[in-house]
Amino acid sequence: MEKMLNKADLAAWMGKLDSHRLFSPALEDEDVWNYMPVDDAAKVQLNHPNTVRPPKGFVFPQREVLYEYSQVPGEAPVLNETLPDPAPAVVFGVRPCDSRGLVRQDIVFTKEYEDPYYHGRRAKVIYVGQACNAPPSANCFCMSVGGSPSAEDGLDVLMTELDGKYHVKALTPRGADLLAKGGDLFKDAQSSDKAAVEKAHAQAKAHPQRPIKDLGKVAGALKANFDSPAWDEMAKACIGCGICTFLCPTCHCFDISDEVKCSSPCKGERVRTWDTCQFPDFTMHTSGHNPRETLGSRLRQRVCHKFLYFVENHDTQQCTGCGRCVSLCPVGIDIVSVVERLGQP
Amino acid sequence: MSQNAYLPKLGRIAAIKEEVAGARAIKTFRIEFVNGDGFEHDCGQCAMISVFGKGESMISIASAPHIKDYKQFSIMRTGRVTTALHDLNVGDVVGVRGPYGNKFPVKDWKGKNLIFIGGGCGLAPIWPVVQTAVKDRGQFGKITVFYGGRSSRDIMYRNELEKLRGDVDVHLSIDAQEEGWDGYCGFVPANVMTKAPKADNAIAITCGPPIMIKYVIQNLKDLGFEDDMIYTTIENKMKCGIGKCGRCNVGKDYVCVNGPVYSWAALKDLPQEY
Ligand SMILES: Cc1cc2nc3c(=O)[nH]c(=O)nc-3n(C[C@H](O)[C@H](O)[C@H](O)COP(=O)(O)OP(=O)(O)OC[C@H]3O[C@@H](n4cnc5c(N)ncnc54)[C@H](O)[C@@H]3O)c2cc1C
Ligand code: SF4
Ligand code: SF4
Ligand code: FES
Repeated sequence: MEKMLNKADLAAWMGKLDSHRLFSPALEDEDVWNYMPVDDAAKVQLNHPNTVRPPKGFVFPQREVLYEYSQVPGEAPVLNETLPDPAPAVVFGVRPCDSRGLVRQDIVFTKEYEDPYYHGRRAKVIYVGQACNAPPSANCFCMSVGGSPSAEDGLDVLMTELDGKYHVKALTPRGADLLAKGGDLFKDAQSSDKAAVEKAHAQAKAHPQRPIKDLGKVAGALKANFDSPAWDEMAKACIGCGICTFLCPTCHCFDISDEVKCSSPCKGERVRTWDTCQFPDFTMHTSGHNPRETLGSRLRQRVCHKFLYFVENHDTQQCTGCGRCVSLCPVGIDIVSVVERLGQP
Repeated sequence: MSQNAYLPKLGRIAAIKEEVAGARAIKTFRIEFVNGDGFEHDCGQCAMISVFGKGESMISIASAPHIKDYKQFSIMRTGRVTTALHDLNVGDVVGVRGPYGNKFPVKDWKGKNLIFIGGGCGLAPIWPVVQTAVKDRGQFGKITVFYGGRSSRDIMYRNELEKLRGDVDVHLSIDAQEEGWDGYCGFVPANVMTKAPKADNAIAITCGPPIMIKYVIQNLKDLGFEDDMIYTTIENKMKCGIGKCGRCNVGKDYVCVNGPVYSWAALKDLPQEY
């Protein structure tokens, strides 16, 4: 279903979606864009650059309670399952690299065992994407990893900004439902509108991006270079802050721990929180043995997970080229350079 | 698997046996599920044991699958969770979720000679296979158990091992000579070399500290064992047990799902990050 919406009517459409919580990228600080609840639909503008945090937190929050426990000494513990049941939400302005990140998350949280916490939230969040028109940032490389500025994977709706209007395409039944709620605000897209969208998409694809040569050969080359001393060399500056993974739309690793509220009787919550392979204790046993002791081995794990292991398991890279890990690394470690050096035959 | 794999079932400690004393004490816990709400398991699988307020630890199920009334776990006191477990008493209730991981392909080993090689706490993961092989004695060829501890006080399952003698060849060892010890003195891999078990129609199953496993495999190779005749388990740090948290990732595998049991043929192709 392809429709047209006047820019001036965006707020009116949002107004009709009031059975949902609405989120859209907004300027949080000087030049920091993040997803915020929409408190005034009239102020929403969908011409933002990429947000600092990807939208993964809507379905995989940074901290989530798995269940509550309480135990009186000498008695059996009592567990209270806390499966999420959030109010439905619509997230506007999701960039295609980030929605492709969601597809990667879906794979992990669905394969073999469907994670009830993830899917409890996933079922309630609708993603309205926003194709990129403006030239990409210096570190975007979605096209090099099989994506595009107008990729549709993982989205319910894709919006493309045209002169004074949005082209709005429903991609799933949930998306179609959202458009139906807009009623008369939407007009059917004419062939001239469709031609304009195609032109805008083609123009966006023509902007130069950082290339990865021979993507198909990267996995094999990383395997061959597993023991290369270049890993240590390239990781030398790393301070192990974990920003590259916490802000990545595809990273899914987590810790599980007990947060104690009262020790006698013992009461608390078992929680899961984001965690990262970039921290030394991610793999360190209590005995002190650490299978990934060095910064180099941890950088290798991050890059090989994304460009080798995930490809072996799921036939697709676990990187969508959003560029966050490059732009936001405090010491300038650059996954494209790493892949260029160690992922080339 | 239960609907919510993160939510443990409750298990009451029915018996506790002190296997090894000292700083690295090992206790064997017999756990019965509360409300008959248990699960079945295969040889080699493990379970997450919870002490609420402390956390969870992955522990091998050390009882054989044919034992349905309880599950047994032999746990070394090392950190926060395992220390809390050691402080518990009979009657206390813990959380148990699982079973996790793959299994030893015991069914494929019918008619073969089985050689078990364990060190330290590493007898626990292979003990269900020993128990199964002894129960179905007629289905297997010769059964041999090598097991070593640092000292005579570090030998776990001492009585059970003695009871196997006759049916099974048992070769115990300790690292350094002690008065009254008539078994082998020296490391487990060396004991294996001295007795030199034959590779013909045999399967070797080994578990113990990483360094021991490394030398055992090397020695088995020297004795003519092929890569697919050698099995071991690996122990990576784990949190979820179901292939989501990424913690136990080695190469393309998640040890909690694709392991912990590996043939050397499969394991040697993975990065040596365990
Ligand atoms: C497949 C498997 C089977 C195991 N079987 C046994 C067994 O039969 N008996 C036994 O005594 N131990 C076993 N272990 C090791 C046991 O899980 C750790 O020794 C124990 O978690 C660490 O002690 P802690 O929880 O008290 O330490 P803490 O300091 O409380 O550790 C915190 C967390 O770190 C992780 N961790 C730390 N060290 C290890 C480690 N060596 N291996 C895995 N995770 C670790 C755990 O997630 C643990 O919950 C097994 C581990 C695995 C992966
Ligand atoms: S963001 Fe940069 S410095 Fe921080 S862990 Fe990642 S690579 Fe290392
Ligand atoms: S690896 Fe880096 S560029 Fe790729 S998706 Fe993650 S944050 Fe973005
Ligand atoms: S323990 Fe979480 S992925 Fe294996």
